[in-house]
Amino acid sequence: MDKITLKDITKCYGKNPPVIEGLNLSIEEGSFTILLGPSGCGKSTVLRMIAGLEKTTAGDVQIDGVSVRDVEPGDRNIAMVFQNYALYPTMTVRENIEFGLKNMKVPKEERNKRIEEISEMVGLTEYLSRKPANLSGGQRQRVALARAIVKKPAVFLMDEPLSNLDAKLRAQIRTDLIELHQKLGTTFVYVTHDQVEAMSMGTDIILMESGKIQQHAAPAQLYAEPANVFAARFIGSPPMNVLSAAVAGDKVSPKVEKIGFRPEKARLMSEEEVPGLRELVISGEVVAREMLGDQTQYKLTTGFGSVSVKDFGDSVYSYGACRIAVPYKDVACFDAAQKLIGFGLLRGDQFVAD
Amino acid sequence: MQIENTAVSRKAVKLCVSEKTVSGKSARKVTTTLRPYLMVAPAMVIFGLFILYPIFYMIYLSFFDWNLIGEKKFIGVKNYTHMFADADFWQVLGNSVYYMVMVVILQMALSLLLAVYLNKNTRINRILQSIAFTPYITSMVSVAFIWMWMMDSDYGLLNYFLSLFHIPAVGWLSDPKVAMTSLVLVSVWKGLGYNTIILISAMQAVPGYLYEAASLDKTPRWKVFWKITLPMISPTAFFLALMNIIAALKVFETVNIMTQGGPVNSTNTLVYNIYQYGFEYFKIGYASTLGVALMVVIGFFTLIYFKVLSKRVHYN
Repeated sequence: MDKITLKDITKCYGKNPPVIEGLNLSIEEGSFTILLGPSGCGKSTVLRMIAGLEKTTAGDVQIDGVSVRDVEPGDRNIAMVFQNYALYPTMTVRENIEFGLKNMKVPKEERNKRIEEISEMVGLTEYLSRKPANLSGGQRQRVALARAIVKKPAVFLMDEPLSNLDAKLRAQIRTDLIELHQKLGTTFVYVTHDQVEAMSMGTDIILMESGKIQQHAAPAQLYAEPANVFAARFIGSPPMNVLSAAVAGDKVSPKVEKIGFRPEKARLMSEEEVPGLRELVISGEVVAREMLGDQTQYKLTTGFGSVSVKDFGDSVYSYGACRIAVPYKDVACFDAAQKLIGFGLLRGDQFVAD
Repeated sequence: MQIENTAVSRKAVKLCVSEKTVSGKSARKVTTTLRPYLMVAPAMVIFGLFILYPIFYMIYLSFFDWNLIGEKKFIGVKNYTHMFADADFWQVLGNSVYYMVMVVILQMALSLLLAVYLNKNTRINRILQSIAFTPYITSMVSVAFIWMWMMDSDYGLLNYFLSLFHIPAVGWLSDPKVAMTSLVLVSVWKGLGYNTIILISAMQAVPGYLYEAASLDKTPRWKVFWKITLPMISPTAFFLALMNIIAALKVFETVNIMTQGGPVNSTNTLVYNIYQYGFEYFKIGYASTLGVALMVVIGFFTLIYFKVLSKRVHYN
């Protein structure tokens, strides 16, 4: 069942052209949905419209199938975690967590019980009487989470909640959030520009660019079958190599405009190696090499643009001239509108591009 | 110590100039330690000359009987015993405290209300803000004269308006029960715009996301003000209130122009009383004694204020 539905949403600020136009999306009940995209793509605006912090210029936001146009943010049964946490600096941790409950007229005993539970759960018990200014970044982040969880909302909205933390803490809270989602089973909507966060936590990813949804899919599918060139180039580290179809010569149909392949699907070939059947071979030159322990990343320049290759083998290839081979089945073909046509659409046994 | 240093440094500087290459290093060290003192010296000289010296001279004079021309006569603490025994002094002190309390409470309450009302940054509010600010840049003397005319019991504008509603005339400045409150009104009217502008700027510095968080927490509007806005602007409000306390205890112009302390001493305040004793009765010694009393009173209220309220102020 859909928990949140956005119908034909348009959002303009002042008289400027709309940042979002005719957007439709639905978020499934109990999902961990990630709104992913580069900065300025409108993902935060979407979240804020769900929260009711921004009015929609046109269109309708529905929660549980009911329009919330005239419902105040506080009455939408949602909780939000802000990027900078937005803790009340004048209140102690306890008061911060309790504030929403008091406004919701939760009785005192129940409040105390919930605060005790939550602070135990996020490990804040000994900090309850502190002010936010006397907490570390990670602790503040946990207060923000506690403040949201304690309200027992039907939907959690999170606006880049991890971006102010250091890498180690980020990884830790990432797993904490997955655990939390499993435990609560409520709907999470999470905004981020970080594909690692998106891929690792999400059950659904909505990839956005300049106010439009580029793809809405589960993480694995988003990675395996990017719907278009944008999705292909956004996901993956390094992302998919996308080259002009000329690299495949006459082996592809003329309506294919671009072809792409993941760096780990390409194989570096040694001097004497003979390419296999149904493989696309591209020659180029290794210009950068990064050894990461379990893998080595190469950057090559070819006649068709630069290409990244991930190699998991033991052998290390030297700088200079080199050839790579990509199995036909791993080559994605995109049409003139940059949409994915399919994989492995190359004809013939082999093609060597120089 | 400081004087010694100065002497040394002068030498050092001279040395530095004449034998730069020989003793340059040690001279530079001396000038480095001395530089901060030299930097603050002008300010300290002015501070000492115009603030510290007058204060101590005032305390000194309070033990004398002096008419500004003749010989100073040392009379010990007689001025003080006289002051404490004088019913007039207690009345004047009471007047000053009443005036201060009324001005500060009204000023803060009204400017907070106005600030909340004018906080939204719209064109009409910008115009209203400038209008509210105008009294502050008008001279107190002009303000006093305008209000004197408006508060005239026979020809004044205020009583004219009251008469429209068949309310009997009020002796704004002639009724001993009302006069002090009238002065309070003038002062509040004059300072309102200034206080409001300062409070508005403090309110606009409150980050918007706090209000967003509050709206998600289902916070009623009055609670947003009490629990978020007010605590966030408390450092500014605290400072403003303190400035108002001190300024109100030092009130002079309105009293001098509008009432001369009357009727029947009901608007006589400490500073006006000092002026009377100093420059009308030429009792400089006793005026100084009153000056010391004023200083103590201001110090007392400032201290109390800090003790009571500073804990409730939120500093980041």
